[in-house]
Amino acid sequence: MLRTGQRLLLTAGLILAAAAALTAAGAPLRVNGSTTVNPVVAEASDLLRAERGLTIQVDTQGGSSGGMAALGEGRAEVAMVSRPLNPEDQTHYPKAHFVATRIGLDGVALVVSADVWKGGVRSLTKAQVRGLYEGKVKNWKEVGGPDRRVVFFNKEAGRGTWEVFAHWLYGDPKAAPLVTLPEVGSNEEGRSKVSATPGSISQLSAAWADGKRIFAVGIRQDDGRVLLPTPAAILNGTYPLSRPLMMVTDGPPQGAAKILIDLLMSPRGQALVKKNGYEPAAVGEHAK
Amino acid sequence: MRNTGRRRLELTRVASLGFTALAALVFLGMLVLFGVESLPVWRHLGLGYVTGTRWFFRVHEFGILPMVYGTLAVSAVALLVAVPLGVGTAFFTAEVLPRRARRTVKAAVELLAGVPSVIYGLLGVLLLRDFVVKLLAHWDPLSGDTLLTGGLLLAVMIVPTVMTLADDALSGVPADHRMAARALGLTRAETALQVAARQALPGLVSAALLGLGRALGETIAVFLVIGRQDNQWPERLLSVQPLANAGQTLTTKLGGSETFIAYGDPLHWGAIMGLGLVLFVVVTAVSLAGASLVTWGGDRA
Repeated sequence: MLRTGQRLLLTAGLILAAAAALTAAGAPLRVNGSTTVNPVVAEASDLLRAERGLTIQVDTQGGSSGGMAALGEGRAEVAMVSRPLNPEDQTHYPKAHFVATRIGLDGVALVVSADVWKGGVRSLTKAQVRGLYEGKVKNWKEVGGPDRRVVFFNKEAGRGTWEVFAHWLYGDPKAAPLVTLPEVGSNEEGRSKVSATPGSISQLSAAWADGKRIFAVGIRQDDGRVLLPTPAAILNGTYPLSRPLMMVTDGPPQGAAKILIDLLMSPRGQALVKKNGYEPAAVGEHAK
Repeated sequence: MRNTGRRRLELTRVASLGFTALAALVFLGMLVLFGVESLPVWRHLGLGYVTGTRWFFRVHEFGILPMVYGTLAVSAVALLVAVPLGVGTAFFTAEVLPRRARRTVKAAVELLAGVPSVIYGLLGVLLLRDFVVKLLAHWDPLSGDTLLTGGLLLAVMIVPTVMTLADDALSGVPADHRMAARALGLTRAETALQVAARQALPGLVSAALLGLGRALGETIAVFLVIGRQDNQWPERLLSVQPLANAGQTLTTKLGGSETFIAYGDPLHWGAIMGLGLVLFVVVTAVSLAGASLVTWGGDRA
């Protein structure tokens, strides 16, 4: 029964997609997924539109997992993903053969609002982050900050940023405790809300922490060392929340998808990666 | 000549019947689709799906009551603000303004109704969040993302709908009735409030209901300012405190990333489709009530 329903939904989707394709100049290349990868791909797509007349649609519905779902269901040809692929991606879509091309590296930063930063919170231990996430630490003064309540804006489940964070903190996103927090979706939303809300903390792509309105705090190790999401630390993998930025296709990239990915891997594309604050793909360890 | 005219009429009748049937079929099809897709969750939880107050998809707990509450709370706030404003404006345009000015004002208001909702959402993020924090200072909100913020934003969005429909209702009152009232010595204000308002009452109520229909279904604007915090079932229903907390509505849940994760897990997917079904039924009921009042009012006029 369910299968029939799903097939119906899929058929409806395909008809709509076909209609959309007919109205555009040729079949568009549909790209969907992570808001972290998006700025780079959007700029690369602009170049291809101008130079080669390609039609490329870039969407960010549901983040990395949303992109994988779109790819698996045939609603997109390329998924933008800002976390390592996990076994569920394959088990959900057994017929697909996902091929990931790493175009860059990024770190997930723990970002705080200006008042928290100026109040003296420059680094947090893993245990403190856990306390903040689970609601046990309710006031910043408990971790050496100002006397202000903690507002934890949690990245939605399914976002690459959240999965990397949960993987670091609990070993496995599935092992993360059940918490009830206000949620944020895209990087844009996280950035604007943390900068506008006193006493707030959230998980955010390191490249988006500008150090003016939102600040990336370091991670304090047991031996007192503080790990910051600097380019060098992300490249050599010493920053624990490093992650790959990837373009995923079903099977090896072909046609327009190949043109787009080839551009991203070329020196011009890699310059776009750097320009947006991420680390280039050619060097560095695959962050896992 | 007469023959072709009749044939054309026949064609029109068949075509309109056909398209009406098609619309009805699509509507029924959607209802059935949502029903079938959400079947696993009804089978698994039964009514507990509607009465449960905990939603943790990773352990397969699906209770939608806090989201139903969130939807009702933001809609109630929206109506409380938008109906007096919208109907009040309609009295002004329909009863006070000269006809030419009325058209201009109405066109301007209807223009507001056409602004994409994401624009309203971004304006809400920019302007409304700080305002609400100050407004609710006594209840000490954690951030500017609250149910009240969502409700106020919705109010701004539905005022044009309420206003323009209420204006239609008031302008629909026949001029004879007004003239008769004036001839009997009623003042202009008495004519407006006692004659026109009473006659237009079904239309005014339906304006509010159609505004409510829009409020219930609105997603992206509310999504940006409500905080999207699950499981916010208030301890006391009738107090201001829950409005100062972040929350979640049926639509903001559906607009979130969970919709993309749910696929592939029949129970989770069923729970998401169940949200759609509940929303669909509620919005349809409200819109039907609004539309039938319009017809009723039209019959009476």
